[in-house]
Amino acid sequence: MRVAITGAASFLGGRVLRRLAERQERDDLLVVDVAPPPAALGVRYRPLDLTEPAADQKLLDLLREEEVDTFLHFAFFTNPRRDQAHAHELESIGSLSVFAACAAAGVKRVLMRSFTAVYGARGHSPHFLTEDTPLHPNPALAWARDKREAEQHAASFARRYPDMRVTVLRFAPLFGPHLHTFYTSIFDRRVVPVLMGYDPLVQLLHPDDALQAVDAALATWPQGAVNVVPRSPIPLVSALHLADKLPVPVPHPIAYASSDLMWASGIADAPGAFVDYVRYPFLGDGARARREMGFEARHTSKEALFAYLAYRYPGPAAPEGRGEERSHADSEATA
Amino acid sequence: MSAGDKVVGIAGARRRRMHARTEGRLPEPTPDLLALRAKIEALEAELVAARESGAAPQGVLVALARIVQEGLAGFGWETLARAWREAYFSYHSEDVDDFGYDRKFTETLRPLFEFLYTVWWRVEVDGIEHVPEHGAALIVANHSGVLPYDGLMINLAVRHQHPSRREVRMLALDMFALLPFLAPLLGKTGAVRANPENGERLLRRGEAVGVFPEGVKGVGKYYKDRYRLARFGRGGFVRLALRAGAPIVPVAVVGAEEIHPVVGKADWVGKPFGFPYFPITPTFPALGPLGLLPLPSKWSLDFADAIDISGYGPEAADDPILVNRLSEQVRSTIQRMIDGRLARRRSVWFG
Repeated sequence: MRVAITGAASFLGGRVLRRLAERQERDDLLVVDVAPPPAALGVRYRPLDLTEPAADQKLLDLLREEEVDTFLHFAFFTNPRRDQAHAHELESIGSLSVFAACAAAGVKRVLMRSFTAVYGARGHSPHFLTEDTPLHPNPALAWARDKREAEQHAASFARRYPDMRVTVLRFAPLFGPHLHTFYTSIFDRRVVPVLMGYDPLVQLLHPDDALQAVDAALATWPQGAVNVVPRSPIPLVSALHLADKLPVPVPHPIAYASSDLMWASGIADAPGAFVDYVRYPFLGDGARARREMGFEARHTSKEALFAYLAYRYPGPAAPEGRGEERSHADSEATA
Repeated sequence: MSAGDKVVGIAGARRRRMHARTEGRLPEPTPDLLALRAKIEALEAELVAARESGAAPQGVLVALARIVQEGLAGFGWETLARAWREAYFSYHSEDVDDFGYDRKFTETLRPLFEFLYTVWWRVEVDGIEHVPEHGAALIVANHSGVLPYDGLMINLAVRHQHPSRREVRMLALDMFALLPFLAPLLGKTGAVRANPENGERLLRRGEAVGVFPEGVKGVGKYYKDRYRLARFGRGGFVRLALRAGAPIVPVAVVGAEEIHPVVGKADWVGKPFGFPYFPITPTFPALGPLGLLPLPSKWSLDFADAIDISGYGPEAADDPILVNRLSEQVRSTIQRMIDGRLARRRSVWFG
């Protein structure tokens, strides 16, 4: 298996790369990215910017030259970007380039990273979102719109090139040690605004489980989208209390307006449309992963939360009942 | 070192000063007194140690006492957050089920529910044995009463009077299940937003599921239209039961129509808040929040024989004629039970 990976500088992509580097011949591992991988890994590297105009041609030449048969596409932003045009070029147009080049070069398998947030938190959708649920993120949210377009490219190329196996893993929000995202930063504050009168269930996925799901997908290659979700969800307000935060209820019209204002003025990390995700649940259904990849998460959302808290607030001051979770954090650090 | 330590220090110094002043006048302390003093000092030290380690769980009262005792030094985000957490988890469980059902929270509210059930509405139940002991079952009832109290009462009736004491998961209308404040309340007490996927998932898990096929048309109907069943949707509940092979148990709820008699509607008030209608009752909105108090009518729940539909098989769900016939059968059963009950009823308030 000759594997090329892009987005190896991301949290998940980097971990997948490290795991593959441990496991297989390093000469068969190629990083295609703007940033070189850590030299210690000893994997090969070809610079490529997916946002440049002729990226697809360049990628095609590169894939042919290297005789790549498996492509792992992890180049997505977890945090919302202020430069929306660049994010669109990378996520939507970049994915189009990736699929076009892979199809032309005869790459046999493509794995793409996606997000359960792409379903959108709409209130009217089913409580558990199966993979065939239409993707309806908030149209005001460029972050989700670009990712949905990438998914559409994946689906359309899978349809047009039946010989190419396209697997899309929709990960629930990652939560655990060594993660620093706009939503984990909520748990770095003492006082956290929540929506008055709403308490959705949230899924927090431990990174160990995410990695295990990638392993399972690389072994089974299911066609199409598969949700990767933790064992059980947790109510948002309970999660905040378990982390000893002070939740302050805010009426939702004020929350939308004020977070938009704070995003525009550079104070907040995310625009107002993200308020949807703390208003309504967006829970992926893990049945397909169980059925077709034999994957079942080992951690619950609560365990993922505790693993993050043990990492973020180390020392004996951690509240009781976190001893067991700390061992997860240790295993993560040594892995 | 915390403020607690300083208190001990000052007290110790004062004792020493007093000691110096009274020296010479008092007799030598007896061994008894010395032993007592040693004991007190040991206890003080233990208290300080316990306070500093923070090992003891800090309830709301402990946190308050600390703030009173130590003044501003005892006040901190940490203390406040801990106290809040203790208070929150005193009536919430840390683990809820997939749909957000929180047993501890429901137990906390149970006395209120029991009061409504036994005292306020004096619910009379008939034919509860028709609900299956175990396995999937679809309980279908008429919907009325502006707010979803009828679902709660069906749930309590099965919990109380059915030998299995099983939980009925009510499917709540969107307008309730998405309404701020009511939405988390419903979810935590075991209700689930009504949609085919959710219902099918619960039935496949072998749960008893309660539905109100009339939907919005039923719950918000005018007082003058009471006990006349609205159209049963498009038979979605029948398709649900057929697909899961679950028996249908029709239920007639009498009494709920009178708790909030709707005499008028001002829909333009409700629409901006996502509520499909804004009911006007004799007490609401005239009496303000007091108007939300439901009237104490006498209720009865009549459970009819379960309709076994397992013979049709799941593919029958795509047969619209059959679906419509079963839907009509359930509707007429419920209407018949209601009419029978109404004929026997002499008073709205006393049954």
